[in-house]
Amino acid sequence: MTYTRDQILAEVLELLNSVAQDWEFEGPVGAHTRLFADLAFESLELVILGAKIQERFNQVFPFPELFAEIGQRQVRDLTIGEWVAFIERHLNQPVGAVAVPTRAPEGV
Amino acid sequence: MTRDVLLIGLDGATFDILDPLMEEGAMPALRELIDAGARATLRSTVPALTPPAWTSLVTGRGPGAHGIFDFFRKDDEASPLFRFLTSQDVASPAMWSYANNEQLQSTVLNFPLTFPAPKVSGHILPGGFMPWRQLRLGCHPEGLFDRLRALPSFNPRELALDMTQEAKAIEGCSADEYEPWVDMHIRRERQWVDIVQYLRKTEPSAFTALMFDGTDKIQHLCWRFIDPALRETLASPWDRRVRDKVREYYSRLDTLIAELRESFADATIVVASDHGFGPQVRTFYVNSWLERMGLLAWREGQAPASGDATKLGLDQLARHVYQIDWSRTRAFAPMPSGNGVHIVKADQAHPHGVPAGEYRAFRDDLAARLLEVRDPETNEPVVLRVSPREALFSGPHLSLAPDLTLELHDGGLFSILSSSESVRRRPLPTGTHRPEGIFIAAGPEIRRGVRLEPLSILDVAPLLLHQLGLPIPAVLEGHLPVGAVEPQALTSRPPRYDDISPALTGVGDAALDPEAEAEILERLQALGYVE
Repeated sequence: MTYTRDQILAEVLELLNSVAQDWEFEGPVGAHTRLFADLAFESLELVILGAKIQERFNQVFPFPELFAEIGQRQVRDLTIGEWVAFIERHLNQPVGAVAVPTRAPEGV
Repeated sequence: MTRDVLLIGLDGATFDILDPLMEEGAMPALRELIDAGARATLRSTVPALTPPAWTSLVTGRGPGAHGIFDFFRKDDEASPLFRFLTSQDVASPAMWSYANNEQLQSTVLNFPLTFPAPKVSGHILPGGFMPWRQLRLGCHPEGLFDRLRALPSFNPRELALDMTQEAKAIEGCSADEYEPWVDMHIRRERQWVDIVQYLRKTEPSAFTALMFDGTDKIQHLCWRFIDPALRETLASPWDRRVRDKVREYYSRLDTLIAELRESFADATIVVASDHGFGPQVRTFYVNSWLERMGLLAWREGQAPASGDATKLGLDQLARHVYQIDWSRTRAFAPMPSGNGVHIVKADQAHPHGVPAGEYRAFRDDLAARLLEVRDPETNEPVVLRVSPREALFSGPHLSLAPDLTLELHDGGLFSILSSSESVRRRPLPTGTHRPEGIFIAAGPEIRRGVRLEPLSILDVAPLLLHQLGLPIPAVLEGHLPVGAVEPQALTSRPPRYDDISPALTGVGDAALDPEAEAEILERLQALGYVE
C-alpha cells in the first residue's frame, strides 16, 4: 500500500495527540511542531515513538540515519513534518525487510 | 487443576541481603513463603545483566537463541553501530506467548523488553526504559491506560521512567536526595501491586507476572547501607537514617508480597531474581588497558579527555564509532553494561583488523593477557574468567555477541571510560551484579520446606509452564526442577514435552542517536552500571 504524506502525517499526529493528553499539553500539534523545543521530547521518547511507528506501518525504518543527521545539526531538533517526510520516503521505498516473524528464527 | 500462576520478579535480589532481613524479622511474609515451599540459588546468564537474564527467564532460552546479550546490540557482525533493543528484537517466544497459544490470558507488568507490547491475550505494561510520557502507548490492550488512571494511586510519572527524577537521584545523590528517592520506589511498588489487584479482580489471568525493580536500583545506589558486612561504616546519623529508609523499603516490599500471597492463595507463586548482588571494590578501565596494550587507538585529537575518570562521559558512548582510529584498533569495548570486548575483523572498511586466519590466535592471546591484569595495590588478579562467545552462547544470534566476555573477580562491570590507570580501587564499595540470584516457589504442587541445589535461570520457564498445565517446548534449554514439585503432581501430571512454536509479533529496529544513547547511559549510570 502506498501512503500519501498527508496520510502519514495524520497517523503520526494521532499517535502524538494520544500521548500529549497525558502531559496536559494544550498547544497545537502540527507539521511545524518541533519535537524537542516544542514538545520537550527526550531522544529516548523519539526512539520509543519510532518503534511504535514501525509497528503501525509494519516496516523497519532506518531511523539511525535520521538520528545521526539530527545530531549533526546546528540546532538539534526535528519537526513533525521532517519526520513524516522521512517516513514517507522509506515507507514507499522500503529499505528494510518486513520483519513480522511467524516462527522463531531457529524454528522453535 | 486450576491454572493460576504468579511470578514475582525481584530484580537483582540476593539471599545475602534477604536472609539477614528475614532473620531480623523485617520480611516475615517472604520467610513464610520460603517455609511453605522450595528455595534455591538461581544462576544467572553471563553476563549477569537485566536484559539477557530476564529474557532468558521468561523464554527459557539463552542469549544466543533470543538474541539479547545486553541493552544494545550490533546490527550485524561487521557493523560499528549498536542500537537499543526492544521487544521487536527478542527472537524467542516468552511465557505469555506460550500461554496465549493455549488460549490462556497473561498479565505482565514491568518486565523489560516488553515494548512494543506483544499482542497477546491479557495485559502488558512494559518496564525498563519506558518513558512515562509514552506509557499509554506501551499499555496493552488499548484502553488499559485510561482504566488504570482511575486507580487512586496511579501516577504514571512515578510508575514509568522519568529521567528528571532519575537524574536527581544520579547527579544529586546529596544527603537529602537519598530518602525521597527510596520513598519514590516504595510508592512505585505500591502502584504495581494496586494494578495487579485491580486486574486480578476484574480480569484475572492464568499467568500473572510482576517485576519489582526497586531492589536492583536501591542495591546499586545504597549497597553500603544494606550490606551487613559494611554496617560498621555507617557512622553518622544520616548514614543510619538512610539505612533505616532502605530497610523500610524491604519491609514495605514484604507487606506487598503478603498482599499478593493472600490474593493468590491457591496459586503457584514463584519468586525469582535475574541475578544477585554484591560489592564492587575496584574499577577496570578496559579501553585504557587495550590502548596501553597497543590494541586500541583514538583518532588524532579525539582521545577522550582523561579528566576525572570517575565521572560519566555521557557524550562518549558513540566514541567507538567517531573517535576510534580504526586503522590502529583491533579490539574495543563499546558498551559499559555487559563486560563485552569486540575484536575488529579485517574487511574492506577495516583493512588493519584481524584477518580471519589469525582471529583465533589473536583472541586467545588477548584472553590470556586479560587474565594477567592485576590490582596494583593488592596484586590480586582483576579478571576471573574470559570466555569466547561460543563458550557462552549458541544459536542463530551468536555472531552478534561480543567476541570475549569478561567476568571480574569482584563481580563488577568494567568501565569504558579513559583513565590514567587501568585499575583503580573504589573509595567505598558500590553494589553490582553477581551471578547468584534467588528462586523461591510455593503452591499446592510445590514441596514444602525444601532447599534445592542451585538452579539455572533457564529452569524457571519449564516450571511455570508445567504449573500452568502447558507443554514444555523441547527446545527450551533448562530443565523442570523436579525436586521442587510434589512427586504426586509429577505422577498425575507428568510434564509434556512438545515442539510448539507460538508466533512472534512485532517489527523493529529501534536504533538510537547518540543523545538517546546518552540518555540510556545516564539511566544505566543511575542503576550503577557505569562510572
